[in-house]
Amino acid sequence: MSIKEMLKSFFLVDLMKGLWVTFRHQNPKDLVTEQYPLQRPEISDRFRGQPRLMMDADGKLLCTACGACALACPEKLIKVSSVKDAETKKKVLTEFDFDIGRCMFCGLCEEACPSGAIKLSPDYELALYSREGLQLHRKDLEDGLERKVYEK
Amino acid sequence: MIPYILQYLHSDVTPGEAGNVFWMVVYVLLTFAGVSIGVIFMNWFERKVMAHMQVRLGPMRVGPHGLLQPIADALKLIIKEDLTPASADKLVFWFAPVCVVMTAFCTFIVVPFGRTHAITDMNIGVVFMVGVSSLGVLGVIMAGWASNSQYPLLGSLRSGAQMVSYEIAMCMAVVSAVMMTSMSGEGTLSMIRIVEAQLHQHVWYAFEFFPVGLTALGVFSIAMIAETNRAPFDLPEAESELVAGFHTEYSGFRWSLFFLAEYAGMMAVSAVAVTLWLGGWLRPFPNWLGGARWDTVFSLAPGLTFLLLAALCVIYTVRMAALRVMRANAIGLAAFGAVLGLVGLVCLLPAVRVRVQDIYWFVVKVGFFMYLYVWYRSTFPRYRFDQLMKVGWKVLLPISIAVVVLTALVGVRDELFAMVWR
Repeated sequence: MSIKEMLKSFFLVDLMKGLWVTFRHQNPKDLVTEQYPLQRPEISDRFRGQPRLMMDADGKLLCTACGACALACPEKLIKVSSVKDAETKKKVLTEFDFDIGRCMFCGLCEEACPSGAIKLSPDYELALYSREGLQLHRKDLEDGLERKVYEK
Repeated sequence: MIPYILQYLHSDVTPGEAGNVFWMVVYVLLTFAGVSIGVIFMNWFERKVMAHMQVRLGPMRVGPHGLLQPIADALKLIIKEDLTPASADKLVFWFAPVCVVMTAFCTFIVVPFGRTHAITDMNIGVVFMVGVSSLGVLGVIMAGWASNSQYPLLGSLRSGAQMVSYEIAMCMAVVSAVMMTSMSGEGTLSMIRIVEAQLHQHVWYAFEFFPVGLTALGVFSIAMIAETNRAPFDLPEAESELVAGFHTEYSGFRWSLFFLAEYAGMMAVSAVAVTLWLGGWLRPFPNWLGGARWDTVFSLAPGLTFLLLAALCVIYTVRMAALRVMRANAIGLAAFGAVLGLVGLVCLLPAVRVRVQDIYWFVVKVGFFMYLYVWYRSTFPRYRFDQLMKVGWKVLLPISIAVVVLTALVGVRDELFAMVWR
């Protein structure tokens, strides 16, 4: 052990360094904790949360009822029902069922969709009181999550 | 009766010395209340400071910035079911927390918060403190044994070994400080006389015979952490190994008694350190900033501190009032700030500030040690048991003995030189 190391261990330099680190972090600016219901976290756009059916600027659904998302889903939890429009010879979406209880938010449906109609949105408060609410229907997917404001 | 009560007000000694039973009882109650409030405050302070050191917020919900959290905790503990294990030794199990609390609070009998602000002045004050506070280990061992369970027993075993081995180094450091008192006239063991000796010698013993006094303080401040079973020497209650150590089987109110005793014990040993080495109730910088004018300036400190706290409360009240959900909190904080401001103004009165400043400086110094406790706890990992014993016996004990010898040699250096030169 060299003299320097000996002096270091005698004057507890390492302990002092540790003390300085903890002392420095008392600065309130270092805080990373969020007070959740009062302060809401900023979620990235790429966060995969509540699924949504997207619309174009006129408020028309982008979904063409092709069923690519249902095929791509590894859990087979998407059910797309459609009818054929007699005039335009195109499929028209009637019902879109999404069982979010089995969803693992992998985003494969989003990738498979040719028209960008289904998207896992950044809405994150998905907890519910009943299992029935986990069955999302077309209307739920179009409207998205309604945030409840609780009074104190 | 009334003349008997009023008679003490004209004396300038502690009620114990004056033999005034009424004021003794009042002082005992005041000290008990003060220490309990200190424990409650420490509960909040420790959680808050530790949280900030770990980049967390700590308690925030109960009251503004969690100020009422300790009260909520206390309520919860009192309401909680008080379990006694079926195979426990009922009597000893019941008596252990009582024993721990009694010893922790007994030490405050001789703690001088000021020249007149002590319950009594004992001529063996320091010995009494060290002796009674080491009785606390008995309560811990009783708790561990009476629980009739492995973990508490192991915890109390560790605690016994640890407290006994650190006691020696601690007492050696105390001896060094007591020897220093004999530099001005007679040596003394009384807590009040020790502070007065520092006053007469114009030096705090931490700086006497530099660095001998400082080393003694260092040894004591390490040993006192081990004595009170605090991190990094908290092996008796190492939660990763022993659940909660000696108080594993305790719950509810009895557990809170252990908690109370732990913090009261921390304050008691901090008070010893402050009295012996940091000048007790004396204000800082008596030599550098001496004189009557500076005395006046320093005596304003308690009032100004309270006013500063009140100002902080006002700032936070204004900030909180902007948030609708925080309105109830803001009102509470405003009331708290008003009380603090009022206390601050009262402390600025000349008649009050002369009496209060002693207590203020003493509490500030003890508070510094309490902060150190929290700081160490959030910084250092726990020692292994053999490391703990190594530090106690192979490092602290030799250093403390060397400190005693050095103090003696430096103290009689003039006589020694005279002998050599003759």
